[in-house]
Amino acid sequence: MKRVLVACGNGIATSTVVASKIKEYAENERINIKTEQCKLMEVPGKGDDYDLVVTTGQFGGQVKTPVVGGLSLLTGVGKEETLKEILSYLK
Amino acid sequence: MWDAIMSGFDWIIGAGPTVMLPIVITVIGLFFGLKLGKAFKSGLTLGIGFAGIRLLLDYMASNLGPASQAMVDNIGINLDVLDVGWGSIAAVTWSSPIIVFIVISIFAVNILMLLTRTTNTLDVDIWNYHHMAIVGIMVHYVTKNIWLGIGASVVMAITTFKIADWSQPMIEKFFGIPGVSLPTVSATSTLVLAWPLNWLLDRIPGIKKINITLKDVQKYLGFFGDQMVLGLILGSAIGLLGGYDVTTSLQLGVSMAAVLVIIPKMTSLFVEGLMPISEAAQNWSQKKFKDRKLFIGLDAAVVVGNQDVITTALILIPLTIGLAFILPGNRMLPFADLAIIPFRIALIVALTRGNFFKNIILGLATSAAILYAGTITAPILTDLAGSVGIEVAVAGGALLISSFSATSLTHSFLVFFAFVGPLLVTLPTMIVIIGIFWYYFEVMKPKSKQVREQRELEMGEQST
Repeated sequence: MKRVLVACGNGIATSTVVASKIKEYAENERINIKTEQCKLMEVPGKGDDYDLVVTTGQFGGQVKTPVVGGLSLLTGVGKEETLKEILSYLK
Repeated sequence: MWDAIMSGFDWIIGAGPTVMLPIVITVIGLFFGLKLGKAFKSGLTLGIGFAGIRLLLDYMASNLGPASQAMVDNIGINLDVLDVGWGSIAAVTWSSPIIVFIVISIFAVNILMLLTRTTNTLDVDIWNYHHMAIVGIMVHYVTKNIWLGIGASVVMAITTFKIADWSQPMIEKFFGIPGVSLPTVSATSTLVLAWPLNWLLDRIPGIKKINITLKDVQKYLGFFGDQMVLGLILGSAIGLLGGYDVTTSLQLGVSMAAVLVIIPKMTSLFVEGLMPISEAAQNWSQKKFKDRKLFIGLDAAVVVGNQDVITTALILIPLTIGLAFILPGNRMLPFADLAIIPFRIALIVALTRGNFFKNIILGLATSAAILYAGTITAPILTDLAGSVGIEVAVAGGALLISSFSATSLTHSFLVFFAFVGPLLVTLPTMIVIIGIFWYYFEVMKPKSKQVREQRELEMGEQST
């Protein structure tokens, strides 16, 4: 099972929204994943232990794990493309 | 009939927030077109979040309360207003008996302003309505007048959407996020003070030229950004200052680390519960306004990951604690909300375009304003929390609660004050102040931009 780290400013609000959208999409595609949430500040410390990092905002730090920007999952503009990109890392 | 409805209301209120929240949120969910089952599950999720937060606050008050009392007795510094964090205040907000009317009013204001083209911000981030709602709820609590309460939240909504519009170009430019504005009061509120102050600073000769670059701040101060470590250090320090022995101080430190780590997990239940409602509202309104280019209102969480914001926040966290100790008249002990200082200063950083010197000055000024407003409104907030079953009184003295959100925010404090003061004086004053901001951003600023572009155009023509 692939693990996704979803990060936002406080690890509460927007990351909850994005994480549940990713989960829902993966479920529909019958892919089993696990998501965890954290603050953006914690990504450099934690990110390497995951298969994918999704952030809801600008992320300037460095991690080895691929990072996808998830802003479109909040605005709804370009949502499908982003979900497909996220999924491509989880197959 | 009327009597039956009223006694129904009384029963719901009397049953307390854990029963009321599921019912109230189900009603809000149905209003936004959710199916009954989904709406009820949303409500139940919020009820569970509330139960969790109440449990934690009780734990926090019974541990930190006596310790801060001991600190007051021991070193004579009067910091008896506990900062219990924005999540706890949001929980109090969502469990108010009038929250349904307020949420629907805020949503209606947004739609009306979009229809009349007085705003371009589509704000369906229902969760963050709590910042606008709490002002109305506190006004209602003080005045017992539901219309004044709704009025205060409506004014909060109008001003918040306008500030979101006005700050949008600056946010797009600095953070590089197009098509998005941030009607998050916890982030935009500091602008109310920072806009004029920044204007002043720019007129003091020499200030603009001061350019500090800060390297390695994140390396050395990074632990301030880690809730666990922050809780441990603060808890232990308060214990020691209160004259506790080392063992007891460490126990307090670990308990407080636990509070800071667990509160966000409870708060995220609120977000999870409200998400289907936000989604329904988003789908409905994006369909309704599909021919128009709108700014999607998002939580300011999307910009606080910026490196300049993090660096400034890490410096301001210890400075804010220091400020609390030295500001005369301040009684608020910063604690749970130190973690969200990035939100308070994110837009200041965008305003100064990352000038660290100005960031720190403006950050200190706005933090001081938060501490004072938090101190002044703490008694009302404490009573309000008590009315929904959050009791924080400890043996040997009254303890008050406050936070870095609700009416501690400059914007919210001013609107609150305007609605509970002598209305004939304060309401017209408020309207004049809003008018000045409105005139500056809608008339003066576009004009001066036009003049500037015209001049540049002419200069261009001359040189060719």
